[in-house]
Amino acid sequence: MSITVIIPTILRPLTHQQKHIDMEGSRVSEIIDHMDQQYPGIKEKLVANGNAHRFINIYVNDNDIRFQDGLATSLRDGDVLTILPAVAGG
Amino acid sequence: MIKSLKDCTVSGPFRTPPSPFAAVGFSLNYQSGRLGLKVVEADDYADQGTFSFVFRAPQARLVNCVITGWSDCDQPGAITESMMQAACGLMSVHGRSTGAIQPFGLQYVSTVTTALALQGGMAVALGNLRGLAVSDSHISMAAAALLSTSQYIADATSTSSSENLSSADADHSPAPPFISADGIVFELETLNPDPWLRFWTQLDISRTLAGKGWTAFLLRYAKAIAPIPGELTRAVSKLGYADISRLCADAGMAICRVRTLDERMDDEHFKSNWLKGPWVFDCAVPQPELPLTSASGLLPLSGLTVIESCRRIQGPLAGHLLALLGARVIRIEPPGGDPLRGMPPVSEGCSVRFDALNRLKVIREIDIKSPCGQEEITEMARHADVFLHNWAPGKALELDLDYADLSRVNPALIYAHASGWFTDGGEISLRSPSLPGTDFMVQAYSGVAQKISRTCGTQGGTLFTALDVLGGVIAAQGITAALLNRQLNCAGAKVTSSLLGAAILLCSDDFQNRHDFFDCVPPAQSVLNRVFETGKGKIAIECLDDDTLLRLMQTLDLSAGDKSELWQRLGRSFLGKTAAEWLVVLQQAAVPAAIVIEDLNDLHGDPRLKPYLEIGSYTRVTSPWRFQ
Repeated sequence: MSITVIIPTILRPLTHQQKHIDMEGSRVSEIIDHMDQQYPGIKEKLVANGNAHRFINIYVNDNDIRFQDGLATSLRDGDVLTILPAVAGG
Repeated sequence: MIKSLKDCTVSGPFRTPPSPFAAVGFSLNYQSGRLGLKVVEADDYADQGTFSFVFRAPQARLVNCVITGWSDCDQPGAITESMMQAACGLMSVHGRSTGAIQPFGLQYVSTVTTALALQGGMAVALGNLRGLAVSDSHISMAAAALLSTSQYIADATSTSSSENLSSADADHSPAPPFISADGIVFELETLNPDPWLRFWTQLDISRTLAGKGWTAFLLRYAKAIAPIPGELTRAVSKLGYADISRLCADAGMAICRVRTLDERMDDEHFKSNWLKGPWVFDCAVPQPELPLTSASGLLPLSGLTVIESCRRIQGPLAGHLLALLGARVIRIEPPGGDPLRGMPPVSEGCSVRFDALNRLKVIREIDIKSPCGQEEITEMARHADVFLHNWAPGKALELDLDYADLSRVNPALIYAHASGWFTDGGEISLRSPSLPGTDFMVQAYSGVAQKISRTCGTQGGTLFTALDVLGGVIAAQGITAALLNRQLNCAGAKVTSSLLGAAILLCSDDFQNRHDFFDCVPPAQSVLNRVFETGKGKIAIECLDDDTLLRLMQTLDLSAGDKSELWQRLGRSFLGKTAAEWLVVLQQAAVPAAIVIEDLNDLHGDPRLKPYLEIGSYTRVTSPWRFQ
């Protein structure tokens, strides 16, 4: 399944400055593994202790994966996976 | 207060300030007294456009402190609280969540300006005592207003990804705050998604919808909006507050009613909080042999070293202000750097929102949880002048980095804790689960939210992070006072400030009106304080007295009549010209008016703001102080 991944500015040095990359995979975790093979170092920026890193939000078609099945969230052909660093204040 | 600062005096026209500075005079009187400074009334002032006061410290030269409305330029404008909120973008940020750009009912810019002006005076005196050639301090209300919105300005003006959320096209969900079936208005808070999901699942909200609500909830801090799906607000509106509270407790989510100012004033420790002010100082025993830092440099805190271990807004802003005053600030970040460096929009490898508060600091990556890291921090504190943190309650003790630990290696240290709930009565104890000390919870608890809603006709406070910003300002102010005391009396100190303390400052006019504890008069309410639509753009009008309102009505050819009808007639009249055209007309009539900034990018077009804005990959707000 072909998935478009939108890369945030802060991670673009790892993806040769690409803003969008197309990856194959049926789950979010697979996409991240495939990305890490192609762009080494990106996985450790996204995953900590088997879950999405606390300060990184990952969305599948605008839905936060924490509210789906986390890294096991399944994907369909044409889905868009957006990575966004968390915003915070307070 | 710092009792040993009693020989320092602040003299100015507090009882009879120039009318545009009534709130400044009132707040300066209150803040000076709470710091332990002697307040001396001086009943003369030069003109209506300036508020001047003199700060005197023993053995230091007199410091003339001048507050103006705008920068020193040839296009001065009217000076009132609402003019500043309108022209400097605060109304715009506040209006994003409510859908209506309007004043937000606090003497906010006046209070921030006052705190910065007093800090400037103390810093110059301290610089003098340390042998620096700085003298006199100038600050404008416009500079203070821009400083308050510096993160939003950074976000909006970033060349990498612009933020352009006008209130007209944003989704204006009425929440938060939320309303229960029995009519209780309340805020929810959690910093983690798990309690959020558990809470909404109990209300039969789907995971997907709860997730969309979480995404919207997170936008509060970054964008000052919270377009929460209506299904969520409707779900809580079917339950009574007691039931919602129980569900919150089960889910681990915090809940706080939007309390009234009267409720706040009935709190057990309120009177003591109000009398003592927003700081708690714990001064060490004077030690005449304390080694104090020698000074060189052009700014009043040049030569001083600050160690900062802070996250988010309040603490980092305090460190930023000390850096703007010349201190060398070393910021401790976790290994790999603060994750918020990646918070969009990012320019030149760093979040512009993050950079706006941290660009002047030296970064040191240390794992504060490791014994090795704690040892390294202790060693850094040995040679520092200030240690500043905003850790959760109890964490400093857990890390062996409490005041007792660090003052043991450095008795001259000023140890500062910028907290959420701390007052002179200690950490406020609230229901379980404990309330996170975040801006919106403190607004709800402290009466600030109700004060804002009273003016705006909304249910709660503002999503502009008003308390985080003022909390950062008073933290830096308290540190400067403690540094001055150290120079004068050879004593280190612990300084605790809080968001709740910032809220005390913002409600001080209401508190004084009810209790009349101090010999000072709060500013009177304006007789007209509104934003009107014009043929093109919005215009803010603030009439401080009846004479000004009369001039406005004469200018518009309106006769006196029923007040509610008057607003409507005014509204219709303003549609006849553009905001820019009205500004000229109203300036000639000496009616305070300002074109309302709706897009923060438009700040660049105002020549009165240029000295405080530096254009680059994003617009940086420069130092609010000018020293001679």
